[in-house]
Formats: sequence, structure tokens, C-alpha cells
Amino acid sequence: MAEFNVNLRDVGSVSVIDVKGYLDAHTAPELENIFNKLLVEKQFKVVVNFDELKYISSAGLGVFMAYVETMRENKGDIKFSNMKENVYNIFDLLGFPILYEFYKEEKEAVHKFSDQG
Amino acid sequence: MRNQLKNIARSRGLENAILLSILLFLFNLIFPLHDSVVLAIINELLVFLSVFFLYHYLHQFLNAKVDSPLTLVLNAGILAALIFFIVSITNSILGSSDSSKGIGFFNSLFSVLLAFVFIGSIVYIFSTFRELFFLRQKKDLSTFYNTMLIFFALSFFSNILILFDSSFDYPKDAFYVVTIVLICLNSTRVSWIAFLTKKQKYYLLIISVILSTLFGINFATFIDNSIMRQIIYTFSPGLHTLMSLIMIYGTINFGIIFFTTLFHLPTAEAFDRKAEEVSSLMDLTNLITQVFDFKELAETITTITTRVCNSDSAWLVLKSDINIELSSVHNIGYVDADKITNNLLGSGENYDSIEIVQFDSILSNTNAGGQLFKSIAIAPLKVHKKINGYLFAARHRENNFDQDEKKTVQAFADYAAVALENAKLIEESIEKERLEKELDVARDIQKKILPSTVPTSNRLEISALFVPAFEVGGDYYDFFELSNDLLGFVVADVSGKGISSAFIMAEVKGIFESLSKIITNPKELLIKANDTLKRSLDKRNFVTAIYGIINKKNGTLNFARAGHTPILLCSGERIQSIQPPGIGLGLDYNPGFASSLKEMEIQLKNNDIIICYSDGIPEAKNHKEEDFGYDRLDNIVLNNREKSLDLISNEVMKELSLFSKNHSQHDDITLVLFKWNQNN
Repeated sequence: MAEFNVNLRDVGSVSVIDVKGYLDAHTAPELENIFNKLLVEKQFKVVVNFDELKYISSAGLGVFMAYVETMRENKGDIKFSNMKENVYNIFDLLGFPILYEFYKEEKEAVHKFSDQG
Repeated sequence: MRNQLKNIARSRGLENAILLSILLFLFNLIFPLHDSVVLAIINELLVFLSVFFLYHYLHQFLNAKVDSPLTLVLNAGILAALIFFIVSITNSILGSSDSSKGIGFFNSLFSVLLAFVFIGSIVYIFSTFRELFFLRQKKDLSTFYNTMLIFFALSFFSNILILFDSSFDYPKDAFYVVTIVLICLNSTRVSWIAFLTKKQKYYLLIISVILSTLFGINFATFIDNSIMRQIIYTFSPGLHTLMSLIMIYGTINFGIIFFTTLFHLPTAEAFDRKAEEVSSLMDLTNLITQVFDFKELAETITTITTRVCNSDSAWLVLKSDINIELSSVHNIGYVDADKITNNLLGSGENYDSIEIVQFDSILSNTNAGGQLFKSIAIAPLKVHKKINGYLFAARHRENNFDQDEKKTVQAFADYAAVALENAKLIEESIEKERLEKELDVARDIQKKILPSTVPTSNRLEISALFVPAFEVGGDYYDFFELSNDLLGFVVADVSGKGISSAFIMAEVKGIFESLSKIITNPKELLIKANDTLKRSLDKRNFVTAIYGIINKKNGTLNFARAGHTPILLCSGERIQSIQPPGIGLGLDYNPGFASSLKEMEIQLKNNDIIICYSDGIPEAKNHKEEDFGYDRLDNIVLNNREKSLDLISNEVMKELSLFSKNHSQHDDITLVLFKWNQNN
């Protein structure tokens, strides 16, 4: 069974989610739980750090699609950072770069939120 | 020899017994007085053989009744009473007169009939003793018993010796005494009494004392120099000996039964309870395999616990990570049980093994609705070291649960734990079955949606390959004959798996089929498809697609890509991936979607191959979790470009299965190829 780990931490007013391992239909609910928690806490500024993510399936992508609207409606966003090339290719193929912001470094993504206010 | 004899005796027991009885009967009618030694010996032999065969026949007959020893005892008692009755009547009617000495036909007929009744009765009684003797015996005691039988026979025949010389009677007395000693020894085998219930023991106590007395009186009348003794003795001295011995046997045997039962009475209740415990545990074992509803089983368990463990109330609670839930109660209200449970477990306390809680220590400050329990046994429902709940047994009385009762409560708790686990597993397997059925439905839908054949035309060779994954992905491809010259095609992939993606796929098919008839521009068509799909798609679902139109007349390909894997164009010795921009269907509304999408036109040259595929191919994994990737696909196509499209497909599949052997295919695989043959 492919392993998946998710960790939530705060960097200033931004929540950073570290995803690690394999994000697919079986592990996606773990990530959803984190997003649900953020919604309850009214924390809408989210950066997802993909540094240690090895694989993402369409179900994994679906998680971000499910929550991004709510985040944006509340003046927040989901931004992606530290993505490996093979993972980025999957996002790219689907056209995610047109809809989401991707950053090389987590810091940049966090700063982007601060710049916006 | 012995076995042969046994076989003859057993297999034709009834026939032999009847035959000999008739012989005996006729013999006695013809020779009412056995005044010669030869006649007497023949008579004795006939009597003995009748008894022998009848005994063996009855053995089979009674063997079927050994499950109810009391019935056996009662039947023997009735026959003993019958003998007593006949003896008394005969003695009183005929008095002590010796009129029977006369050789009247009726007299001899009467004595023969009487003898038959006696033979039947004593053989039946004797067989009963035999069954009782062997009942519930663990060891093989047939040697003891057979020795006794031999002495019975010896005593029987020793009477013949007296016929030769009336002073020669000491062997008879010797055999007689030895037989009685053996009877005494064999009569002590009465372990079956222990297995009777308390009620049956009381019953047996009364019956045995009556029967012992009855057999004693019968014995006395046979020994006494009464008319009865004379009749029997005249008929057959051996029979008389046998009867008196059996009467002694009855007296001794029932006497011993009486005392044994008496001594067993004090433990009768404990024995009953143990027996009930065992039988209820057996019932529970049956229930566990039959009842899938845990609630029902929990009710049975609490009821049995109350009864068997001498408690006044019992209840069962289930414990999960978050809460404690009352599952069933017996002889106590839900509210009270809940109160006590919360009191005992509320502080997050765990009882790892069975524990007895005294009322004073825990419950003194709880008003349990007037239910004052003096002591409560708490047994955990443990499976794999995890506690899933508790079984409670509570008493009003002062006396504590003893070691034995504790063990019993724990045994029931263990059963409940197993049943609970069982119920869970069954639920899971039903769920699994449901999912598997769902997968079947999904596969079915998918199969029906995909085209069964590919269109054929002179200049355009087409090949399509589809390999479904076990979990059913949402791959879809289709061809639309738009006009004589134009062929539309779509290759799409619905995100997610299972029945939901199968349904979306069905919708996608409908959308493309209808739109292809109206819109002849790939980009416009995808935009329209996005509008339609976005309304019905769940937020987290999306569909990637390539829609293209090939002109079969001049070989132009127009297509647009909505997030799908790029198409490959193999032209000469070059292969290139063509990936015009475009986001997946359902990712964004217009105008975002429309503005992302770019349509492309390619002019195909002779022998150019166009390859459309789903991400199942590049994302196929090997045992090291590595991707199959795009390069491998490129190379296979390049190396086989001269071959027919079907062969290229086969080659791809072959390489793919080689690559991902020992690894299950987790996504559908779709491969659609077109080859442009300019010259045809």
C-alpha cells in the first residue's frame, strides 16, 4: 500500500500543508480532512508544499478543485509550491497552471499572500 | 466362533427367540412332566436358548432408549410389579394346595404360559440392567459383565447336576454365591446417575427404593416354598434359579442406585448449573454462526448470563473510541444500566480482565433507580487485545461471585466478543460484495458505451484498443461519421473510478454524440461540452478529452485538447508529442475554459500515424513504482511504424504488461491509432 502523509503548520497567517508520498483515491480523504479543518477554523489562505509528494492521481487533484472555490470566495486561495517535475507535468497537462499559482519555493507562495494583504 | 455365535444371536434374534419359544411350548405340552433326565436336560436347554436369544434381541431394542435411563428403570419396575402381581394372585388363588401335581392339560398349559410371561419379564429386566450398566461408562467393562453372565449360565445349568444326584448340590450353591458377589460388584457401576437433572434424581430416588423393595419381595416369594416356586421349579429348575438371581440383582442394583442418588442430591444443583452452562455455551456457538444481527445475539447473551451466573440483572455495552453504547439489557432498565455503566466506566477506566465491583466502593453515591446491587461482575469483550465492550452481571444479594461464576461471565463475554467481531466481518464482506457488484455494473456500462467496431475507409486505417482496469476507470473513445469525408473522434478520460465515473462517462458519451452532430469545430464543441458538463459534475471531478475531425479526402486533422494526454504524431522517422494548450473539462467555467483552449490543424503526410492514448499508459507502474513514461511509448511506435496499426497496439500492450508485471493495472488503458494512406 502506497504511503501518504499530510502535515499542517502555520507560517504567519498562512496555513502550509505538507504532502508526502502517494496522493490517490485511497489517501485523498486524509487531505480532505485537513481542508475541512481549515474551513472550520476559517483559515482560507493555504499553501500546499509538494516537496515530498511522489505521485498524484486524478482523485488527488480533485481535492484541490473541491476547496479552491470556497477559499477564493473568502479572499483566500490555494497555492502550490516545491513541485517535482513529474508531478508538475500532471498538473500542467490538465491546465492547472492557468487556474492555480505555482511557486518554486514555499516562501514565495507565503509572501504572495502577505503582499495581497 | 464367538463372533459367529454373536452374529447368529443378533441378526436373527427375534426369529430364533420365537422359534425356540414355540419349540419349548410344544415340548412342554407333549411332555408336561420331565420325569426322565433326558427330557429335563432338553427342556433346560430349550429354556436357556430362548432366554439367550430373547436377551440378544432385546439388547438392540433397548439400546435405542439409553438416552432416557429413567424410562428404562420405569419399564423394569412395571415388569417387576407384574411379576409381583401374578405371583400374589396365583399364590392366593391356588393357595398352598398341591393340586398342580395333577397332569391336567389346562394346568400344564397354565404353567407354561406363566413361565413364558416370566421368561419375557426377567429377560427384559435383565437387559435393562445391562443397558444401565454400560450407560456413561468410559472404560470397557464388558469383561466384568461377561464373567457375571457366565456365572449366571453356570448357576442355570448346575441344576441339571442335581437331577443325577440330589445330594450333588454344592456346585449349584457355589455358583449361586459367586454370581451374587459378581452382581454386587457390577451393581456399583451407576455413574449415569450423575448426569441426571435434580428433578430426575428425586424421581429416581423414590422409584429405586420402591423397586428395590419390590424385587426383594419377589425374591422372597420365589425362595419361599410357595405354589409359585413349585410351578416354576417344576417347569424348569434353571429358570427358577435365574429368576431368583435376577430378583437379587434388582434388589441390590436398585438399593445401590438409591444410595448413590441420595449422595448425589446435594451436588445436583451445581451439576445442573454446570450442565446448563455448557449447553448454553453450545447454543451460543450455534447462534454465532447463524445470527448476523449482533443486537439479537446480545439479548440472548444477557439473558443467559443472568440465568446461568446466578445474577439478577445483566447488560452489555459496546465501546468504541468515542463513546460507550448500551447494546442490550436484561432485568434492568436502560436508564439504570446506563447510570451504573457510566459510573463504572465514566472516568475512562478500563477493565482488562474480569473484575468484581462491590456496591459500596463505587455506587454508594449513585441512586440507581432503586436497584440496589451488592456486587457487579464486569467482563471485557476482548478481541486481539482490543476491548470492544463490557458484559455486566449484577446481584442484589450479598454473596460475591465465586471463581467459577467469574469464569462463566468471562466465557459469555468472550463469546459476545467473537460474535461482535463476526458481525463486523460479515458487514464488511457484504459491503465488499456490494462494491464488487457496483464494479460489475460500472464495467458493464463502460463496455456498452465504447464502440464495438472501428470505422473503416480506404485512406484512413484505424485501430482502437481498450483494456479496463479492475477498479474501472473512466476511459472513453468514440468515432462519429460526420459526413462522407469527415470523421469525428473523441478520446476522453473521466477522473475518479468506479460507478460514479462510469455514469459520468455515459453522460460524456451523450454530450459528444449530440454535439458532434451540431458543431463541426473541435474547439467550439469542447467549449459547449464544458458548459454542459460543468453543471452536472461534482466539484472534484473533471474530464480530459481530445476531440478531432479528420478529413478523409485530403488528410487534414483538426483537433483541440482539453487537459488530455497529448497526441503523438509519427511522421517518417520522427515522432513528436503535440500538446496544444487547454484545461480539462469541468475545471473552470467560461470564459476561462474557452480562452485556454487552442485548436490545431495538422496536414497528414503519407503513412503518418496519429496516436491518442489515456494516461493509463504513461502512468502504468512497475514493481519499483516507476512510470512507464512517454519515451517508451514513443520508441515502440517508432520501431514498429511499418507494421499494421493492430500490430503496433499489440506491441504497446506487450511492452506494457512486461513492464508492469507483478503490479496490478490501476487505470484503464486506451489506445486509438490512425494511419493516413495517401495513395489508396
